[in-house]
Amino acid sequence: MGFLLKCPNCGERTVYEYRSGGEETDRPQPGDPAQDWTRYFYLRRNAAGDQREWWYHALGCRRWLIAVRDTVTNQVKETYWPGEAQA
Amino acid sequence: MAAGDCEARLGPHPTQAIDRSKPIAFRFEGEPVQAFEGDTIASALYAAGVRIFSRSFKYHRPRGLTCVAGRCSNCLMTVDGVPNVRVCAAPATDGVVVSRQNAWPSLERDLLSVLDRFGWAMPVGFYYKSLYRPRLLWKIASPIIRRVAGIGAVAAEAPSVARYTHRNLHAEVAVVGGGAAGMSAALAASDAGVRVVLIDDEPALGGSLRYDLRSYPEAAGQPAAHGYETANDLAGAVQSSPNVEVLTGATAFGLYEGNLLGIRRGSEFVKLRAKSIVAATGAYEQPLLYDRNDLPGTFLSSGLRRLMHLHRLRPGGAALVAATNDEGYHAALDLVNSGVQVVALVDSRPRFPHDLDAAKELQTRGVLVLPSHGVVRAEGTKRVAGAAVSRLTEGRPTTEEREFDCDLICLSGGFTPAGALLAQAGAAFGFNAALGESVPVKLPPGVFAAGSVTGASGLDDALRQGREAGAAAAEGGALSFFRPPETAPARVDAAPLAEAPGSRGFVCLCEDITSKDVVTAIREGFTDIQTLKRYSTVTMGPCQGKMCHRALVSLCALEMRQPPDAVGATTQRPPLQPVPLGALAGAAYLPIKRTPMDRRHRAAGARMVDVGPWQRPHSYGSPRDECLAVRNRVGIIDVSTLGKLDVAGADAPAFLDRMYTHKFSTLRPGRTRYGILCTDSGSILDDGTVTRLREDRYFVTTSTTNVDTVEDWFRWWLAGARWRVYVTNVTSAYASINVAGPRARETLAKLTDVDISRRAFKYMRSAEGNVAGVPCLFLRVGFVGETGWELHVPAQYGEHVWDALLEAGEEFGIAKFGVEAQRILRLEKKHIIPGQDTDLVSNPLDSGSAWTVRFDKEDFIGREGLAAARERGARELLVGFVMQERVVPSDGNAVTVGGFPVGRVTSARLSPTTGQAFGLARVPAELAQEGQEIHIHVEGRDLPAAVRLEPLYDPKGERLRA
Repeated sequence: MGFLLKCPNCGERTVYEYRSGGEETDRPQPGDPAQDWTRYFYLRRNAAGDQREWWYHALGCRRWLIAVRDTVTNQVKETYWPGEAQA
Repeated sequence: MAAGDCEARLGPHPTQAIDRSKPIAFRFEGEPVQAFEGDTIASALYAAGVRIFSRSFKYHRPRGLTCVAGRCSNCLMTVDGVPNVRVCAAPATDGVVVSRQNAWPSLERDLLSVLDRFGWAMPVGFYYKSLYRPRLLWKIASPIIRRVAGIGAVAAEAPSVARYTHRNLHAEVAVVGGGAAGMSAALAASDAGVRVVLIDDEPALGGSLRYDLRSYPEAAGQPAAHGYETANDLAGAVQSSPNVEVLTGATAFGLYEGNLLGIRRGSEFVKLRAKSIVAATGAYEQPLLYDRNDLPGTFLSSGLRRLMHLHRLRPGGAALVAATNDEGYHAALDLVNSGVQVVALVDSRPRFPHDLDAAKELQTRGVLVLPSHGVVRAEGTKRVAGAAVSRLTEGRPTTEEREFDCDLICLSGGFTPAGALLAQAGAAFGFNAALGESVPVKLPPGVFAAGSVTGASGLDDALRQGREAGAAAAEGGALSFFRPPETAPARVDAAPLAEAPGSRGFVCLCEDITSKDVVTAIREGFTDIQTLKRYSTVTMGPCQGKMCHRALVSLCALEMRQPPDAVGATTQRPPLQPVPLGALAGAAYLPIKRTPMDRRHRAAGARMVDVGPWQRPHSYGSPRDECLAVRNRVGIIDVSTLGKLDVAGADAPAFLDRMYTHKFSTLRPGRTRYGILCTDSGSILDDGTVTRLREDRYFVTTSTTNVDTVEDWFRWWLAGARWRVYVTNVTSAYASINVAGPRARETLAKLTDVDISRRAFKYMRSAEGNVAGVPCLFLRVGFVGETGWELHVPAQYGEHVWDALLEAGEEFGIAKFGVEAQRILRLEKKHIIPGQDTDLVSNPLDSGSAWTVRFDKEDFIGREGLAAARERGARELLVGFVMQERVVPSDGNAVTVGGFPVGRVTSARLSPTTGQAFGLARVPAELAQEGQEIHIHVEGRDLPAAVRLEPLYDPKGERLRA
């Protein structure tokens, strides 16, 4: 079924309004070692617990946001705009 | 069936659900049946004399009403074409058509009941034991088994008979269960001023109190009254409370994360999200295990009380009551009061309950009560004709037997908490030895429980728990209220059936599983209740364990010589009651997008095809003729479905350089360039054209089905990155038409003042001007490989420009062309379609688009991945091929070498221009040589073809640039 996600713009909405963008990753800089790029391309932490991840409010304001979600319980601890400081 | 049978009804009573002033008529097996409003289909059929309601899953044994509450699977019928409806919970409505299932020729005389005599040949797990070798055996057996076993059949040929809708609801508190505890909880929450939704699966509120004729003393604020009076009282208060929305006839079948309740209410699927949930789901009465405990005429005591009190039916002439607790005495008294002779009441407990008023009353009425006795056998073939009871010693039957003639056996095996919703929510359960039941011991936050689901019994406890749970739920406290039961009802379970030879006691009515089957499975080594369930299918039928789980646990405990809490329990998953797939699916809404010229295409008789959400003309007649028109004269195609993005802002040039493999900061305004978008690992995401309108504004096109992906993708890279870039999806703002062919220029010249001469308007240039009097963006691009322009005009002028072009081109032999012709024409030009000619790992280097990749840029999305791919070298390349014969392979056919598949065809067609079968294929890099012979597997043959690196048509692009 599904949980609720709070869009910083639109408020709390069912997760079906969103598209998942997967966990937050750090893009290496050009020229960084190939291992770093490989890790960035193919490997994910897949944490059992709190995870910072991307969500796109596709059926709402069409903006990307960051959610901190417990992947075990689907409890969403907080959401915020990327680049903005966490609460 | 005669209407006169309805005269068998008892006199009026305040508990009755039926309204005798409102007769109803429906059909059962082609025969008319009379009923009253308030009847269920089952109560009306019972009144009309029907006793066999179904034939069992495996052995085709006759089965009759048992729970009368929509729990067991004994009354599954097909109602108005919908299979597997529990008719004991389905309201009788005028004109409804009801028919039997799984029986032939009739329920009374089912020829397949011969299977019942071969039960010995179908031991538990018999598929696994007998039908695995030789392999052919299963192929022969499975269609027969499928035909013979099972329950209702879905009418495959008929369109779906049911229509379902979805509804979303929100509340502070959701209370599941409209009995005493649930109503009390709803009222308490409502008093706290929050919005409450109360859900109950019965047509009216009240739960078991609705048919409870007992007198109760004053309890928890309720005055002394009969049970049904208290039910009415509470229901009235709930109904008049403005904060409470009541959903009756609604089954909460699942509790999902975020306190989301899945509720089915007739043809409606309600998704209810609540801050707090109160489960006041009550308890299920349990049957007893003895020989032939499934004969029609065998009822749960609550089932008989429902028939008598709600539907005013005298269920039979003579009943034997078998009890393990006080409840049986109340039921026996109700039977006597309804004119049914009670031949005996056997109680598994050793002593007569002297302090129970109902017991004393029964004695006064001369009913034979036998303590320390249990029923061991039912007599009769198609229905109960008698019962044999035995004295119990230490809970086990002895040889001291007595027989009684009766047509009813009333079972009172006690109540097991209906904890499935709580279990789904993640509640922990523990075995309570005083109760002999598993009860919830720890509830997750936001979930509360009240009433008999907690193991509590009695009206007073239910009302108190309900009030406390309702108040706590309204407060939304993090700590869930839960109080384990303090008083345990006295119940003594008789040991399950002694295995007399030839005896069959059914643990699981749904799947026809006997106690012997369970014991056999345990002895075969299935000593874990979860694997035992999977092997034997016990608890896996339509009742989902409601009627069998406790018996299963006690059998396991007995056979494994373990306490019941060591046996554990099977996992209870949603749905706890079967839900039609149609209800979950909801209405079949298929959003369709239509282009501005859609009416014109349909009027022209175009054959439409689905392309993602769009409907586009496949062709207007012959795709081949349409191709030839474009190659030789002029054609127009509606390309409004192209994704269109407006990308503007001071950083737009740098941003597009970052997104695309190609460079767009160097593109001069008024020019267009083809570009490929890659993922960061270098795989192709999409392609399209990018036109620079002004220094800080670009017009970007994407392929038809990818515009949302590309928009999301752009926004994702922009998120938090502080680029001064604004992306606007303008797809539906423009009607877009591609005019192409050697006479396209002459056609267009008639409609515009823009200088479109060969010298002034070169290939891959753009201009803004007017066409047919409306503003237009002209792009000189050439997907189909001829001189041509892509025209983007405001959407509302689409039909106007379309018509004007057709008129202007008439003298040049203009033709409309569809998607199929476009696909052929682009294939002749070897222009790729992402997703068709590429897959999730294709990159521009192996797809003939290496020229779009600018490694001289410092960074772009995909640079590192593509640099690594370049270093590795391509293993596979996309090449053109031409078949030796005029045989067109299908997309996906294998490219073979020496009979082994080494690659695959991505697109293939017959070229109207050259008459050859040709296409694109992915082949190993070493085969990507001009003229290289390859083979393509078509319908069992490997046919020769030659690799062709250049486009089939106009390889130098002279016509395109003309």
